Amino acid sequence: MTSPALLLLVNGETRRVLAPGQTRLSTILRDELGLTGTKIGCDAGDCGACTVRIDGAQACACLVPVAQAAGHAVATVEGLAASPMGDALQRAFLHHGAAQCGICTPGMLMAASELLAGEARPDEAAVAAALGGVLCRCTGYRKIVEAVRDAHRFLAGGPAPVAPAAGCAVGERLARADGLAKVGGTDRFGADAAPDGALWLRAVRSPHPRARFAFGDWAPLLARHPGLVRVLTAADVPGRNGFGIYPDIKDQPVFAPGEVRYRGDCLCALVGDRAALEAIRTEELPIAWTPLAPVTLDDALGGEPVQARWPDNVLTTGRVVSGDAEAALRASRHSAAIEIETGFVEHAYIEPEAGWAQRVGDRIEVFACTQAPYMDLEEVAGVLGLPQAAVRIIPSACGGGFGGKLDVSIQPMLAIAAWLLRRPVRAVLPRGESMASSTKRHPARIAARAGCDAAGRLTGFAFEGRYETGAYASWGPTVAGRVPVHAMGPYRVPAVAARARAIFTNNPPAGAFRGFGVPQAAIAQEALWDRLADAAGLDRLEFRALNALRAGDVTATGQRLAHSVGLMACLDALRPRWRALRATAAAANALADAGGGRQRHGVGIGCMWYGIGNTGMSNPSTMRITLGPEGLVFHNGAVDIGQGSTTALLQIAADALGLPTDAFRLVLGDTDLTEDAGKTSASRQTFVSGRAAAEAGRALREAILLRANAGPEARLALRDGALLVDGRPVGLESTLEGIGRFDPPTRPLDADGQGIPYATYGFAAQLAALSVDLDLGTVHLQRIVAAHDVGRAINPTLVEGQIHGGIAQGIGLALMEEYLPGHTENLHDYLIPTIGDVPEIECLLIEAPEPLGPYGAKGIGEPALVATAPAILSAIRDATGATLTRIPALPHRILEALRR
Amino acid sequence: MTPFRYARATEAGEAVRLAAEAGARYLGGGTNLVDLMRETIERPAALIDVTGLAATIKETEAGGLRIGAAARNTALAEHRAVRSRYPALARAILAGASAQIRNMATVGGNILQRTRCTYFYDDAGARCNKRNPGEGCDAIDGFNRSHAILGASPACVATHPSDMCVALAAFDAVVHLAGPAGARQMPLTELHRLPGGHPEIETALRPGELITAIELPPLPIAARSTYRKVRDRASYAFALVSVAAALDVRDGRVADVRLALGGVAHKPWRARRAEEALRGGPATAAAFRVAAEAELAPAAPLRDNGFKIELATRTIAAVLGELAGEAA
Repeated sequence: MTSPALLLLVNGETRRVLAPGQTRLSTILRDELGLTGTKIGCDAGDCGACTVRIDGAQACACLVPVAQAAGHAVATVEGLAASPMGDALQRAFLHHGAAQCGICTPGMLMAASELLAGEARPDEAAVAAALGGVLCRCTGYRKIVEAVRDAHRFLAGGPAPVAPAAGCAVGERLARADGLAKVGGTDRFGADAAPDGALWLRAVRSPHPRARFAFGDWAPLLARHPGLVRVLTAADVPGRNGFGIYPDIKDQPVFAPGEVRYRGDCLCALVGDRAALEAIRTEELPIAWTPLAPVTLDDALGGEPVQARWPDNVLTTGRVVSGDAEAALRASRHSAAIEIETGFVEHAYIEPEAGWAQRVGDRIEVFACTQAPYMDLEEVAGVLGLPQAAVRIIPSACGGGFGGKLDVSIQPMLAIAAWLLRRPVRAVLPRGESMASSTKRHPARIAARAGCDAAGRLTGFAFEGRYETGAYASWGPTVAGRVPVHAMGPYRVPAVAARARAIFTNNPPAGAFRGFGVPQAAIAQEALWDRLADAAGLDRLEFRALNALRAGDVTATGQRLAHSVGLMACLDALRPRWRALRATAAAANALADAGGGRQRHGVGIGCMWYGIGNTGMSNPSTMRITLGPEGLVFHNGAVDIGQGSTTALLQIAADALGLPTDAFRLVLGDTDLTEDAGKTSASRQTFVSGRAAAEAGRALREAILLRANAGPEARLALRDGALLVDGRPVGLESTLEGIGRFDPPTRPLDADGQGIPYATYGFAAQLAALSVDLDLGTVHLQRIVAAHDVGRAINPTLVEGQIHGGIAQGIGLALMEEYLPGHTENLHDYLIPTIGDVPEIECLLIEAPEPLGPYGAKGIGEPALVATAPAILSAIRDATGATLTRIPALPHRILEALRR
Repeated sequence: MTPFRYARATEAGEAVRLAAEAGARYLGGGTNLVDLMRETIERPAALIDVTGLAATIKETEAGGLRIGAAARNTALAEHRAVRSRYPALARAILAGASAQIRNMATVGGNILQRTRCTYFYDDAGARCNKRNPGEGCDAIDGFNRSHAILGASPACVATHPSDMCVALAAFDAVVHLAGPAGARQMPLTELHRLPGGHPEIETALRPGELITAIELPPLPIAARSTYRKVRDRASYAFALVSVAAALDVRDGRVADVRLALGGVAHKPWRARRAEEALRGGPATAAAFRVAAEAELAPAAPLRDNGFKIELATRTIAAVLGELAGEAA
C-alpha cells in the first residue's frame, strides 16, 4: 500500500512525509524527522512528555494521527529557542533548576510556552492548569512553577548565570552543568538513538503470576513473518541465565526456563524489524500455558516455595537487638502499638527502559538508561560468559531512576541478541511492559510497639516487619538489612528489638526504591510517637525533640555518633512554623465547627534519619581529573539520573583543585573512559563520590604544585589552554593526573545487628498542613515545611530540588500510589502526583558538617522522601483523630478509618 | 498496526458512505481510539476521520445550543454561553482531562469513549465480555474498586468514564445522528446502554451511524449548576463518583432540579428517582440526603466498591447543599 504524501509545517519549516494517515505524529517527529526532543513516556496521553503545540494549542503527539496535523503548524522543543519567550523560558528553567532528569522538560516547556503566549505573567493556578497534563517524577513541580512564572524576567535578559570564581563554587546555586541539553531537548535518552540498521527486540512476558509453559514449533511463526529474524529463549543464553544484585544470588533468569514467577516475567524475546515485531499478535506465539496457584504474602510463610532454594520463602532476615525491649516495654509508663500495611509502589520514571547493544569484535557495547553502569557490566559479562574487560557500558541520559534502574532490565537480552546475531539490536519498553516487569517498592506489613516513661522519654521499641520481596531477590537483602537499623527512627531508645524479613511471593520483584524499606517503617514509628506524646501529655514536636538523637549519642547498633547529628537543629527551625500552622488550623476548625463545615484542618510532623551508602559493607568510588594538552578533564563515572551529581561533583572538584567550574571538560559515566564510581543509590554520590572528587582535585593540585615548585596557597589559572601558577606559566607537555578514592568507613553488623552500618547519616523533620473532607474522605494538602540536615549544601538549588521531588514521592506514597499487577500498568490507573497535588514547600537547609564528607556534605536523595508520608498521616490524625493503617490513604480508606 | 484504510471526510453524508465497509470506525481526536488500537483492543479495518465535520457551537432558535460533534472539548468548555448558561458542563469538561487531551478530543468522541475497566484492557490476562462476548467477566470477582454500583449485570460491571456526558445527561441533551438510513435524534440518556446480557453493545447507535451534533435545550435552571468529581488525586484521574446538578430553590422549596452521576454505572446516570423525591419538597440537608439515598437504594456493591454508595450519597447531598446555599 502506498502512502500519501503529507505536508507538515514543523517549527516553521515545511516537511514532506510519506506515511499512512493514522501514523502517530510522535512517530513521524522522532523517527522520520529526527526531532527526538519530543519524548515518549506512556504513548497513551497520560504523561504529556510528548506535548507539542498544534496551531498553538498543546497536544499529545502520541495520540495525534499525522493526517490530522497535516497543514497545521506543529511546534516542538527544537524550535523553542527561536522565539524570545521560548528562549527566556528555557533560561528560566536552567536558572531555577526546573529540569532534573530532563525527560519531561520538553513537554513542560511546550505546555508552558502555550500559556506564556497568552499571559506573560501567569499566577500559580494558571500554571497548574496549563501544565497539569505533564507528569514529572523528579522535581515535585515547585521549581517548574517558579520558572514559568519568572520567565518574563528573562525576556529582558534576566539575572546573570552564576559563575563562581576559582575556589568559590561550593555552596553556590550553579546551573546544572548538563542543563542546556535538557532544556534544548538534545539530551540522548535510551530511545533517542541507535546504530544504523539496528534490529528491534520485543520481550515476551507472562500474563500469569505463576505458570509453567512449553514452547511449540516456532517455524510457522518465522515463516509467516519474514521480518522476524530470531527467537531467543533460555537455551540461547551463552553464559549464566541469571542476574541479580548480590554476587551469590543470580536468581532472576533472562529468559525463564519453563516456569514464570510473576506477571511480567520474561520467557523469550523476538528479534527482527520493527514492523514485523509489531504485527505479531500475542496469540500467534506457540506457548502452552499451565497456570499455577500464585503464592501471596498471606500464605508465603509455610506455603509452597516460590524458588526451591528458599524452602520457607524467607530470603533474608535483618535484626537489631540492644537491651531487653520486652522488659522495657513492660516497665513503661505509657505504651502504644500499631499495625500498618503498605502496597507496591512503582518508580514511574517517565522514561521507560530503552537502549541498544552492539558487538564490536569480541567485545559488546550496551547503551541504555541505568543507575549502575559497573553493575550492568558485571551482569552482561555474566550472561554472555565473557570476561568483564569485554563489556562496555555507555549510560544514556537517564530519565528518572529512583532505584528502579539499579537492576538490569533490557541490557542482558539486548546483549545476548547483539552478540549472537552480530548486528546492533535496540529495544524500548512500552509503558505497560516497563511497569509490569520492573522492580517495585516492597509492600510491608509492620507490627510495632513502643513505650515511654512518665516524662515522655522513650524506653523500648519492638518492630516486626514482613517485607514482600516478590518473585526474585533483587535488593531484598538490602531492604531487610537496612530496615531494622532505622526502624526506631532518629531517637534515643535504650532497648530495641527490631526484625525485618524479605519474603518471596509470585508478585513483581521488589527492589530498591528511594529509602530501601525505611519509608514504610517510618510510617509505623512516627504514628507511635504521636500516640505516646498524647499519652504523656506532650506536644508532638516536643516529644520528638525530647527523644531526638544528639551528637555523642550511641545508636541501637552500638555506634557512637560523634558529629553531624542535626535533628535538633531541624526541630528548632520548625518550631515557630509548627506553632503558627497549628494556630491557623485550630482557627479554621473553630470556624468550621461554628458553621457546620465538614473540612477538618490538621498539622502533622515526621522525623527521619538515613544512613548514607551501603549497610556495613564497602562501597568505594574513584574519580579522576587530568590536565594536559587536551585540557582539564573531569572523568566522572557517577551517573547523574537527574539529581545533579554531575554538577555537585564538579563544584567540589573545582574548589579542591582551585580552578573555576567552567574550566573543566566532562567525561561522564562510560565504563571504558571513567573509573568505577559505584552505583547511584543509597544517597551516596555526593558523600562518597563527592569525597573522591575532592581527593582527586587535591591530588591533581599537589601534582601541579610539585611541577611548578609552588607552595600550598598558590593560585591556579587556565588561560587559553595554558596553566598559570601564581601567574607563572607551567608547561603541560605531559598529562598530570589526580585520582581520588573514598570508601566510607563502616563495620559489618553482627548477628544482633551490632556494628557501624554507616559512616554518616542524614537527618530531617518535616511538617505537613492539610484539610480532610469528613464527608468525602479527600485530603487537601496546604503546605509542607522540610528541615534537612545535609551537612553542607554543595548546591542549594539542587538540594531543594531533591527535597521537593522526594516530598512529591512521599505524597504519592501517603495518599495515592498503589501498584496492583494487571490493573495499574499505565499512568492513568497508577496515579502519581500531578502539579496540582504538590502544595507550597518551604525548605530549611541545616548544615551540621560531616567531617568525612566533601566540605562537610552528606546525602539528600532518600532523606528527602522518608519523613513526608509520616508527616501527612500525622496531620490526618491531627485533623480527624483517625490513624490510617492501610496506605495509601485513598478516600475510601479515610472514610473507613473515620468510621472506626 | 494492521494495515487499513484511512480516509478523511468533510461532511456527514460522505463520512457515512466511507464508513460503509465492515470494521470501519469513525475517528475523532483519537485520544481513546488511537490508544485502544495501540493496545490492540480495537482493530478497525478502516478509519474515517470525522474531525473535519461541523465543529461550530451556535445558539438554536429555541434558545439552546447546538454543538457540532467535531467541536473540541476545549472549545466547548471555553464557550461563553456554556460557561454562563451551563456551567456544570464547562466544569465537567475541565475536570475530565488535561489541556492536551481537551484540545484534541472531540465532543462526539468523548461521548463514544470506551470504558477504562482494567479487565477490558488486559487482553492477555483477563476475561471480558466486551472484548469477547460470552467468555465471562473477571471484574465481578476481581479488583473492582472503580466499578459500577448501579445498573450493572452479571455480564459486565464496567463504568462509562466520561465527565462531560454526566453534565449532558443532567441537561436533557439530545444527540443528532446521521446514518445509512438517514438522520435521526435521541436523548443522550438513551444513547448509552446498560450492559444487560450484551455489554459489547454499548450504545443504541445503528451500524454506520455517526453523531453529528449535540443539542442542549434552553434550560434556565442550568445557569445555577455545578459539577463535583471525587477522585484519588487532585487532577486528571477518573471519577470514583461525580455529580452534575442544577437546582432551583424558591421559598425554601425545590422548584426544579437536574441531577446526574458519573463513575457509578455503565452509562452516565441520570438520577431521576432523586429528582422526583426532591421536586416540590423542602430544600434542606435532610431532604437532600433522603433523595440521594432513594437514588442509591437499588445500588448493588461488589467486593471493593461498596464505599461508593455512601460516597455518592454524600456527594449528591453536598453538591445540592452547595447549590442551595448559593441560592439562599
